[in-house]
Amino acid sequence: MTKILNWMKGMADNIAAGILAVMALTFVLQIISRYVLADPLGWTVELLLTLWLWLVFWAGAFCVKDSDHIRFDVLYIATPSKVQRIFAVIASVVIVVGFVYSFLPTIDYITFYKIKKSAIMKIRLDYVFSIYGVFIIAIVVRYSWRAIAYIYPPTYKKITDEEHYT
Amino acid sequence: MSAEFTLCLVVVFLLAALGAPVAIAMIVGAIAYLAASGQDVALAGEQIIQGVYNSFILLAVPLFIVAANIMNAGSISERLLNFCVAIVGHLRGGLGHVNVVSSLIFSGMSGSAVADAAGVGKVVIEMMTKDGRYKPGYAAALTAASATIGPIIPPSIPMVIYALVSGASVGYLFIAGLVPGVLMGIVLMVMNRIQSTRLNAVMEKKVPLRELPGITWRAFPTLMMPAILLYGIYGGVTTPTEAAAVAASYALFLAAVVYRSISWAELVVVFRQSAVSSASVGLVISAALIFNYIVATENIPTQIAGLLATWDLSTFQFLMAVNVIFLLLGCLLDATTVILVIVPLLVPACRELGVDLIHFGVIAVVNLMIGLITPPYGVLLFVINGTTKIPLASIIKEVVPFIGVLLVALVVMTAFPDLVLFLPRVFGYAG
Repeated sequence: MTKILNWMKGMADNIAAGILAVMALTFVLQIISRYVLADPLGWTVELLLTLWLWLVFWAGAFCVKDSDHIRFDVLYIATPSKVQRIFAVIASVVIVVGFVYSFLPTIDYITFYKIKKSAIMKIRLDYVFSIYGVFIIAIVVRYSWRAIAYIYPPTYKKITDEEHYT
Repeated sequence: MSAEFTLCLVVVFLLAALGAPVAIAMIVGAIAYLAASGQDVALAGEQIIQGVYNSFILLAVPLFIVAANIMNAGSISERLLNFCVAIVGHLRGGLGHVNVVSSLIFSGMSGSAVADAAGVGKVVIEMMTKDGRYKPGYAAALTAASATIGPIIPPSIPMVIYALVSGASVGYLFIAGLVPGVLMGIVLMVMNRIQSTRLNAVMEKKVPLRELPGITWRAFPTLMMPAILLYGIYGGVTTPTEAAAVAASYALFLAAVVYRSISWAELVVVFRQSAVSSASVGLVISAALIFNYIVATENIPTQIAGLLATWDLSTFQFLMAVNVIFLLLGCLLDATTVILVIVPLLVPACRELGVDLIHFGVIAVVNLMIGLITPPYGVLLFVINGTTKIPLASIIKEVVPFIGVLLVALVVMTAFPDLVLFLPRVFGYAG
């Protein structure tokens, strides 16, 4: 199980790194086409924005660990680990409730865009925006899992300090 | 302030205090607000998606992160340091000066203080503490203080984010940071000189004049980077956003082709790490977009502007008050979050009082960078503590005098707007 999860995490990381690499190349292509060839490409900007949207929410869903996030954790770190567990459970439950509540209306909003295509590359915008739906599902699954793991620590016997951040 | 907005703030602060990521806390707070005020909760997703999908200027952020990570993985920092030792190492306070000067040059290549501290900063601390030359706490404190210059001298990630929320020009913001950044370097070197007498610090052997051309030649391709970036932006070759891609490509060219100091496997790791950091910054930015939408519908910035107008402050008094607020917030909160959430509240007040938005932006970023080295929440102190294992308490003790001189520099920049605005005007800024 852990092996499969690790493999999937590695793949997700590689995909995120790949998106970033394609962004860098697209940028270079855009500069060369405009400045050197004096023949600007229209689609590079659109591709860059699409990739950026996907990078943020793909990596946000599958690659960014709790410790990678920007957090304001002065209070959290200073509390004893028993209290931290309660903190983590409450926070996780609130997050799950909020994201579940917004899920269906947001999916409605995204699928509404099936009638529209992007300006230059003519990609259906519901496909472009769908990554945000994926992000919501991933957050709900991750924080539900986190809440359960903290409520029933026996399955997670070794919650060390380090693992509080993963 | 409406009851719904109070609920929103309570949810955000509660979740953040419980240790949840700031981005997630803001999104859930926004959903709570929309639900309580009977609006469509899909608005949260809409603002987030459209905000990210339509802000071309933000594309600079991931590429500046890639550039900094490549420079740190390749041996680019080391070459730069050898050059700096040859130039200022023999002065009293030698390696301390090397620390500041290398930060100044590195600032011209990277846009992030954390990258500065973790990359070139880590190497310079090793040099300073070797054979007991300097106390580890002092070396770490000076490194943290000089890393704050990183985002002041162009390029700069915080200034890109400030441009996004204020509507100010990235190009003028970048050039406006040059003089303040050098000023910060000078005050740090003065303080280092004063302290080095107390510490009885060792001076480095003077590098013979005939070795200087060789050392400069080896560092030359690295030293060209700031020049290339500035020429790109102000010579009209690239936009400030595209300059980020140039920085990344040039860094890759240096590390892979010129110095042959980065392997394929290392490069993959660099891109993986950069993707994760970019996404965590991107998530906070996108969450702040929906939060700012709510703040705007609640009319809060206009109310603040109205309130400040009744106090009848001069622009200098207003900016000094802003300094105090930002420094306090910077002690407790993350710099990106403050720029995204607090700055939009004050922009209408700036317009009302006739405060220049470029001047305001530079001051705001300098404030928040000083906030990165003020305890209890000083990200740079944590980063250096994490990479070098030098105890936090010893760093904090030594960093106080450096915070002091940086504050002096901040007051000077606040009192004399021309110091900041002179260069942008040379480049055609009309403000």
